[in-house]
Amino acid sequence: MKFRFVLRRLLVTVPMVLVVITLTWALIRLAPGNFYDSERKLPPAVEKNIRAKYGLDEPWYVQYARVMRNIMSLDFGNSLRYETETVNDVLRRTLPVSFAVGTCAYLLALLVGTTLGTVAALKQNSKFDYAAMGFSMLGISMPNFVLGPILVLIFSLTLYWLPPARWGGFPSKSLVLPVVTLSAIYMAYIARLTRAGMLEVLRSDYIRTARAKGLTERQVVLRHALRGGLLPVVSFTGPALAILITGTVVVERIYALPGLGTYFINANLNRDEPLILGIVAFTSILVLVFNLLVDVAYGFIDPRIRY
Amino acid sequence: MTAGKTARLLTFVLSFALLLVACGPPVQKSEFFGKLEPPPGQTLRYITGSEPESLDPQMSSGQPEARLDIALYEGLVEYHPKTMEPIPGVAESWKVNGDATEFVFFLRKNARFSNGEPITARDFAYTIRRGLKPELASRVAFLAWEIKNAEAYSNGGSFVRDPKTGRFVLASEAAGSGGAADAEAPAPVGGEDAAPDTEFHRRMHEPDRLFVPSDEKDREKALKANPKLAALVEGKELVPVTADDVGVEAVDDYTLRITLRQPAPYFMGLVQHQFFRVVHEPTVEKYGVNWTKPGNIVTSGTHMLAEHKPYNQLVVVKNPHYWDADKVRLEKIIFIPLDDQTTMMNLYKSGEVDATYNHTVPASWLKAGLRHAADYMDMPENGSQYWQINTTQPPMDDKRVRKAFAMALDRDALEKFRAVSKANNTFVPKGILYGYQSPKGYDFDIEGAKKLLAEAGYKDGSGQFDPKKFPANTIEVIYNTSESNRQVAEFVQAQWKQNLGVTIPLRAIEWKTFVNVRVKLEYKGFAGGAGWSGDYMDPYTYLGLFATEGGDNGTGWFDQKFVRMLVAANREPDQAKRYALLSKAEEYLLEEAPIIPLLKPATSWMKKPYVKGMYPNAGTLHAWKYVYIEHDRAKWDRGMPDMTTQELAEVKE
Repeated sequence: MKFRFVLRRLLVTVPMVLVVITLTWALIRLAPGNFYDSERKLPPAVEKNIRAKYGLDEPWYVQYARVMRNIMSLDFGNSLRYETETVNDVLRRTLPVSFAVGTCAYLLALLVGTTLGTVAALKQNSKFDYAAMGFSMLGISMPNFVLGPILVLIFSLTLYWLPPARWGGFPSKSLVLPVVTLSAIYMAYIARLTRAGMLEVLRSDYIRTARAKGLTERQVVLRHALRGGLLPVVSFTGPALAILITGTVVVERIYALPGLGTYFINANLNRDEPLILGIVAFTSILVLVFNLLVDVAYGFIDPRIRY
Repeated sequence: MTAGKTARLLTFVLSFALLLVACGPPVQKSEFFGKLEPPPGQTLRYITGSEPESLDPQMSSGQPEARLDIALYEGLVEYHPKTMEPIPGVAESWKVNGDATEFVFFLRKNARFSNGEPITARDFAYTIRRGLKPELASRVAFLAWEIKNAEAYSNGGSFVRDPKTGRFVLASEAAGSGGAADAEAPAPVGGEDAAPDTEFHRRMHEPDRLFVPSDEKDREKALKANPKLAALVEGKELVPVTADDVGVEAVDDYTLRITLRQPAPYFMGLVQHQFFRVVHEPTVEKYGVNWTKPGNIVTSGTHMLAEHKPYNQLVVVKNPHYWDADKVRLEKIIFIPLDDQTTMMNLYKSGEVDATYNHTVPASWLKAGLRHAADYMDMPENGSQYWQINTTQPPMDDKRVRKAFAMALDRDALEKFRAVSKANNTFVPKGILYGYQSPKGYDFDIEGAKKLLAEAGYKDGSGQFDPKKFPANTIEVIYNTSESNRQVAEFVQAQWKQNLGVTIPLRAIEWKTFVNVRVKLEYKGFAGGAGWSGDYMDPYTYLGLFATEGGDNGTGWFDQKFVRMLVAANREPDQAKRYALLSKAEEYLLEEAPIIPLLKPATSWMKKPYVKGMYPNAGTLHAWKYVYIEHDRAKWDRGMPDMTTQELAEVKE
């Protein structure tokens, strides 16, 4: 049963990605300007040479067919702005950067968030609960373009402990600030989700049963309560992880990281059609796959769910 | 205190503390900004701007690329580190003929590529022809169009030949059909004997041939629009223009002769551009578009490529085969591509980079005290910020109205407000070009402006200017979206409101849209925001914008009288007289007022005091050969290097 479910979902993914690509492609065409535009107006002859070189002088359906062919073969062609690079090169090079920062941030958020949330739920209405929820409120309300510069100001420009920006490889000191900045909001969300989930579960009958069986509090919490209490976190994880891995524009910009987000924003500004389409296709596939994984994971964690 | 209160108090105190830290201005405690620890040895860590589009010197147009290309490739000439005038590069010396239509370069015999092969005149001829190739589709090919037949070749044109007589139709026969052919053929002035005469040389001195598009559709269009041209082409055969027709000739291994289509005294300034920097033919031909990748690339400059990680860093190391390698001190330059100003300044302050490129210091930081730091570089730049006016639509089709708006502006107040630019009331930036006497320019004169507007018909019964009569709501100011453009636009809007009582609405447009709207004259009133940076150190780089109707003109103002003034100036062999004529032309332009000059940018960048030989020149282009790291604290720079003399910091013997 589960296999058929997965297969069905995977099959739906293909047309959905194609629709997303078509829409993106149309939007790029609607946006004024071209990748070769600059401050200076090009002489018409030079513009003509460029259009001929990149096949922009062909009718739109020929260009569209070329795009679709590329997408289907998962070869997105060469970037228009950076001629020597293929879109696949760009993905191969930037993905590890975004992946490293994104997963580290999410792991940190998961670790701190679930711990805070669980303890807060167990000690509901205590000082610790209020402090933890206060912090998470702060984390949610403070955007990362505010948090990032504050961290840089303290740790890089005043204390000179950590580099203020740039990629130093994995693992390195330069990872610390971006990871913390990025994880703050997720940490806060997860803490709140965990607390709410745990509070609900702790009041349920099966927990009372577990306690009545004479299990220790530790066993009750870790073996029984957490499984149910973390369900909201699991459904949050799918899309959150997909977004984190495909690059977070703001944090990558603040810290000048050569990740996918940086490329995506610049590709848009440069009207670099193949690069935009490649990144959009990749991102949408990733989001759809992660959502699928989450749905499958439900089945393992929550005995109530069957496919 | 209950737990709730404690938590609330804690949250409050914490957020307040964060707010304090975040909002405090960067306090200036020492003479310099941030850490002062030079990197070991001779390594420079430099922020150069956006990720380079291409490492191919013939393909890139921007400044970030220009700075890289200076390290990687050498041209015939190089930029003087202070004045930016041409100094010898691969060419040891050069000769220009009397009317500036022929330039002969004498190359040094010990110049080598990074693989040890010699650089000859043939390599330069190849480089220039390659840049013009239509299939390469370089965006900067037009920089070489002053060379004879270069435009025809680069456009994919064909000469027109009579099949019976074998005679080519001349451009002068189609005169009156527009374009360069309008100018009368220059009389030879002599001085063409710098290099031996050849058959090619004689051919280059024949009168200009007529050329038409090779592409059938384009040709039909051109012929339809011009019956005279159609009659000339009728019954003739077409001969495609080839690379061999371009007026570049390797007379021998070390003599290069370039023949131009018309007098261009500013040509030496163009030759400095990266487009003319020499590339290694076998490498380019072997690898095609991938020739610039590490492992494939062969360079000709002071340094060679060691590593390229896009959006991260590009590392070049000293080229041992460079002819003047003994004088090159930097063993390694790490170029860091970055766009975000705050990030750059953070890296600079924490000592992770040693210098930044121009316009990198945010205005708010300058106002907070950074402008007094001894490592802040602040010199006027070879650029001009101005607003264009659509002169084809009322009420701006009246030059009195245009002039009035140009006069009713306090530029000094604007300079103070902007902090990163300097007031400029002429089109060609004042005080940058040695020997050029700028015209007087616009004074801040409210009464004069009102008088002009009244003369233009916007007056009340008593003949005074009446702002209510002026149709301010039919025009607007468009500008491309950016914080600084918005600030300038709002400032100018407020000035006009205060000084004239006229409120012109503002509208922000995204950059690529803005460019289109401006080129097609689809705006009413003013187009603000864009500036022009000079391609070379000569007033013509600005005034030439209005020598064509299309291109970057963007105003609809195209005046034959002005064009004739420019042509006459460029025929003048004497530099002082030529500058005087150009100044007259600029005066005429300001009188016609198709633009409103506002500011000239300041270079505005940071350099640690231990970086020596790097000067705040007007283009922020640095010949890396002269740059080095000084480890002796006593010799560090205090304040900006002296720019009044042409002398350079101690050059190692």
